[in-house]
Amino acid sequence: MSELDDKIGSRFEWMSREEIARWQAEALRRSIAQAAKSRWYSAEFKEWGIGPEDIRTAEDITKFPFTTKEDLRLSYPDGMVTVDREQLIRMHTSSGTTGTPTAIFHTREDIDCWAELMARCLAMAGATSKDVFQNMSGYGMFTGGLGLHYGAERLGMMVLPAGPGNTARQIKLIRDFHVTCIHATPSYAMHVAERMLQEGDDPKSLGLKRAFLGAEPYTEEMRFKLQDLYGFKAYNSYGLSEMNGPGVAFECQEQNGMHVWEDAYLVEIVNPETLEPVPEGEIGELVMTTLRRTAMPLIRYRTRDLTRIINEECPCGRKHRRLARMVGRSDDMLIVRGVNVFPSQIEEVIMRHKWIGGNYVIRLTKSGALDQMTVQVELAKGEFDGSVETLRNLRAELQRQLREQIGFTAQVEVLEPGSLPASEGKAKRVIDERQL
Amino acid sequence: MYNEVSVFVENKPGKLSRVAELLGNAGIDILALELADEGQYGVFKILTAEPERAKEVLSNANIAVALNKVAVIEIPDRPGGLVQLAKALENAGLNVSDAYGCIIERGKRAVFVVKGDNLEAIESAARNAGLTTLTSLE
Repeated sequence: MSELDDKIGSRFEWMSREEIARWQAEALRRSIAQAAKSRWYSAEFKEWGIGPEDIRTAEDITKFPFTTKEDLRLSYPDGMVTVDREQLIRMHTSSGTTGTPTAIFHTREDIDCWAELMARCLAMAGATSKDVFQNMSGYGMFTGGLGLHYGAERLGMMVLPAGPGNTARQIKLIRDFHVTCIHATPSYAMHVAERMLQEGDDPKSLGLKRAFLGAEPYTEEMRFKLQDLYGFKAYNSYGLSEMNGPGVAFECQEQNGMHVWEDAYLVEIVNPETLEPVPEGEIGELVMTTLRRTAMPLIRYRTRDLTRIINEECPCGRKHRRLARMVGRSDDMLIVRGVNVFPSQIEEVIMRHKWIGGNYVIRLTKSGALDQMTVQVELAKGEFDGSVETLRNLRAELQRQLREQIGFTAQVEVLEPGSLPASEGKAKRVIDERQL
Repeated sequence: MYNEVSVFVENKPGKLSRVAELLGNAGIDILALELADEGQYGVFKILTAEPERAKEVLSNANIAVALNKVAVIEIPDRPGGLVQLAKALENAGLNVSDAYGCIIERGKRAVFVVKGDNLEAIESAARNAGLTTLTSLE
């Protein structure tokens, strides 16, 4: 296969560890040299007295300073851009999950590389040009829309750029055009299924083969629930707008951890307090350096996402290492009674219970000086057997499991079906009413 | 045996009126109603002549609803009318976990709704005492 025909970068996909290491050292040196053309990094590297010549192997990255979200804001709008305006063909801003948005710029080469990485992800999950793909992600500034779109087109799938919302139309499009793959947030995929069930319709009848899920934290239990409801295989996706968006890491058909494309991203896992690397395989904050982006390279970007590297060989044969499911964001972390709690821990327990639906809300209040946590769940309509005793036992069981998970007692409120706000897009799961 | 309608409700103002309104609009008469209160939520137990249709109406409104077996025993609506049934159950050594009653025809007929582990034994004890167990309230 010639390089020109290699539309999904197979020459990178099947690299050995040695090839990856060699490529990373060269690409990192190029990336540092490119970054030094920006106002931000040129000042930064001068201050630290370092430059591309300090890179011999990829491990030399640790000589360089971290880049934080705050740095992106300080250099807003274009302090990290390395090329002339006329070479830029696109910009995106982050979804603003945690405050002021940040801007990321792309050259034609960057957009091309992003499409390649994304197409490689979709192919890895088994998709081919024979598939019909409905993108339920928001277009516009949000990278999940155009990112998946370009990747799917690159692979040659027929793309329906449906965008989010309008559930009835989503269902109709899937049926009418024999859609085989969808991209959605897990909470929206759940919403569509619940809506269909409510109307006496079976999500399995849609005939979907696979779903690409991402853009918000969710648990393995939720994945199983969605796979059960639809009869498709659900693949986890990881990405963030600072690293282009989707296409950073994706699951292969083993569905066990997400291969991160190490030809394009240099990965470190550090202790968020000390910023020292954690021992191999331990959980820490994911730090990434772009290796193939020209318009705006980012060096040692602190993602705030907590995960670990799975270093065992994957049966699929790819040597790009895998990221385990994110265990939370340092920003999402709640401190309740001095205990660190991640919403994903609560969700994991909730998804074990068939008698409650997928929606939940964590409400934090104060009773005197003490924090109170209330978890609101919805009774699943079809699972109610009319017995007060059954409900009492199930609720006590849920409460006990939550206590085991988080270390203190949370109140559990069981609400009527459909009484929690349906989540389209990033779900608002936490309501903090504590007054300081 | 008969079907009682069990309805899951949050313990909030307006919940009973919503259920009552849905059934009323569908022309379904509530003969008797009991609330099993669990604090934050509860379960309405509804006795109606049309339990299957009541379930359908409420379920279509996205309410969690189930049908549960109960024994419905006809007793005379007069002072002491319950004695015969109570004695029959006592003599048979049967425990009743929950019960309520309602008048069908003032001064003439009432029904007593009885729940327990062994509904068949409860019904046959009532019949042996000369009482009628109902399978329809039409």
